[in-house]
Amino acid sequence: MDQIEKRLTKLALKGDQQAFAEIVGLYKDKIYHLGYRMLNNRHEAEDIVQETFLRVFKSMDRYDPNQKFSTWIYRIATNLCIDRLRKRKPVYSLDADMNDQEGLDGYSLIPSDDRTPESELMISETKQLIYDAIESLPVKYKSVMILRYLQDMSLQEISDVLGMPVTTIKTRVHRGREFLRKKLETKF
Amino acid sequence: MDCKLAVSLMHDYLDDDLAKEQNMMLKAHLQSCADCHMRFKELEQTEMALYSLPRHIPTASKELTERILNTLPKHKEPQIWVKWMKRHPAATAAALFLVVMLLSVINVFNQDSQLVVQGNNLDQIVIEGNTVIVPEGNVVSGDLTIENGKAEIFGDVEGNLTVIDGSLYTASTAQISGQVKSVDQALDWIWFKLSNVFSEIAYR
Ligand SMILES: [Zn+2]
Repeated sequence: MDQIEKRLTKLALKGDQQAFAEIVGLYKDKIYHLGYRMLNNRHEAEDIVQETFLRVFKSMDRYDPNQKFSTWIYRIATNLCIDRLRKRKPVYSLDADMNDQEGLDGYSLIPSDDRTPESELMISETKQLIYDAIESLPVKYKSVMILRYLQDMSLQEISDVLGMPVTTIKTRVHRGREFLRKKLETKF
Repeated sequence: MDCKLAVSLMHDYLDDDLAKEQNMMLKAHLQSCADCHMRFKELEQTEMALYSLPRHIPTASKELTERILNTLPKHKEPQIWVKWMKRHPAATAAALFLVVMLLSVINVFNQDSQLVVQGNNLDQIVIEGNTVIVPEGNVVSGDLTIENGKAEIFGDVEGNLTVIDGSLYTASTAQISGQVKSVDQALDWIWFKLSNVFSEIAYR
């Protein structure tokens, strides 16, 4: 994976559109997932994907090849999400409710092929509870928890993406975990 | 061990970051403290619930890739004077001589350049000589523009950062939410002049 990425990045740096298209193919779903969980809104998640790749494309010449490409693209995407969350804060929950009905019922979280009555039930109970709990986290914990648990990043990787010391990331994971525990404690 | 330390160790355990010795200490405490035992169970269940969430679902719409590729700026064609330069090396050498001349002229122009800083809350920055520093922990809200000076960013800039005729250093702690632009007026001017010279010759 890393070798492929290195080659693709090199090609894309030279302005190879095909190589860039492949990078988009590799990352668009991951970035979309990140955006969707951060913003809880499909349209905004797509905006984030689009904006991220546009930034990547425009600043290819500033990419440091010693850095992992994934770290770089996640940094751009995460910062874009955090910016959006900060900007919309006052009308936030109202906005999310009105724009994204289907994201809230949870059914759309699984691809239509896999939809069985059982899986819908499962989603709508425990998992939805956890998603709601994550959704209610303050921004700085939310981003760390999403990167940790939904993007499977190590504490070190999150520290690289957010440009913060590992100790800070650790503290945030601990607090985030406690926050979720309290939210879920009655449900276990 | 007090319960506060125990809780902290529980989290380290869940991070897979607990030394053997501490692991034993934690176990011993959990066996003797019902509250912590309960809390540990809840934390473990929270952790398991988090790991049970699907990873890359939902997916983006199929047209998205196409839309992304369509919005990208088109790859620039090599400019006409670059092609021309390749074909006329002698004239290129002459032009380079011209560049050197222009550079020295600009140097004379630039000698008395003054540091200019534009922004909203400038109390957040520190100026040392011609170096403008945003210290770690400080937040400049809005755009920041620095002309004829060095910029060293350790803190946050909540807007665009523009450095004109200067240098820029951003530390790993720096967070710049807007666009970062370094503008070299002298260079831009040379390019402008050069392409004019070239196109005049090229079309003759
Ligand atoms: Zn205890």
